[in-house]
Amino acid sequence: MNLILPAMLAALALPLNASGADADLLSPDKAFRLSAQLAKAGEIVVRYDVAPGYYLYRDKLKFSVEPASVALGNVRLPPGRIKEDEFFGRVETYRDEVLIRIPVKVPAGAERFVLTVRSQGCADAGICYTPQQQQVVLGPGLGQRPLDAPKTGAGSLLDALGEDTPPKR
Amino acid sequence: MTRSTQAFIFVAVALVGLAAGLYFRSTAQEEGPAVTPPALLDTALESLEGGRKPLGAWKGKVLVVNFWATWCGPCRKEIPEFIRMQQNLGGQGLQFVGIAIDDKDKVQAYVREFGINYPILVGELDAVEMSRSLGNELGGLPFTIVIDRSGKVVHSILGATTEAKLNPIVQGLF
Repeated sequence: MNLILPAMLAALALPLNASGADADLLSPDKAFRLSAQLAKAGEIVVRYDVAPGYYLYRDKLKFSVEPASVALGNVRLPPGRIKEDEFFGRVETYRDEVLIRIPVKVPAGAERFVLTVRSQGCADAGICYTPQQQQVVLGPGLGQRPLDAPKTGAGSLLDALGEDTPPKR
Repeated sequence: MTRSTQAFIFVAVALVGLAAGLYFRSTAQEEGPAVTPPALLDTALESLEGGRKPLGAWKGKVLVVNFWATWCGPCRKEIPEFIRMQQNLGGQGLQFVGIAIDDKDKVQAYVREFGINYPILVGELDAVEMSRSLGNELGGLPFTIVIDRSGKVVHSILGATTEAKLNPIVQGLF
């Protein structure tokens, strides 16, 4: 009997690995992983890691910051890949990895601010996700390092600007 | 029974089980569990004609509720089939209702351009929440549910569907 278990495991393992990824759709935060950092004074670098089989619409990306004393400059979106869409014609999409540089003016004394990114994306499997809003806390007070996984959902990160959360140094 | 025969039987049983598991796994997206949130028929969304309307306005019909958006390619693909079904089966009590998660003016233009012959409600977070409460945890579009005449959700489909798939489901509810 000692051969039976390995045989069963081998029989089970191969097809599961081959088909599991196709059968399960990723949640949008896993399909479109966002990170951002204040790379140097005056520039935010936003990075999207897009899972294989998923894409973001380039022209749907929107960026905003709070509070209003922090000002974003012109967003320089890198060119995307042209997708010949059955319904929309030529559309620019982002797949794999994309880096977006955004000039930012942070007033003296501002420790932190919230960057909000709105995005829309789809899976090749034939579904699109409702518009996503992801937020990242940035600022000189947080140092120049990659930040923790962004939080999603409205409102929650504005609390992070409050005085009760000391800045990490 | 020899060892090799036993091994063969075990592996055969395992493969059958695996095949069954994969079948149900791969169809899970199309036939999600039917849940009927208590407030489903009472939650009012903005109507294209103006004012707010709940799904309950069509209670008593066999309802196919389709969450969609104009910017969603797979959604656009299935809409002509819905228009045809509404035209052919409306007389038997079938009622499609679209819930667009989109800008109202874009939806209005799309409805005119493609001749959508069923009512459209428009929503934002409220519509996304409604779809989540129906089991669409990923917030994927298109998402379609079938509601029987008593107001119970009997079927849900994530991703584009077709007349061929929907027809037998609704026929069983007339």
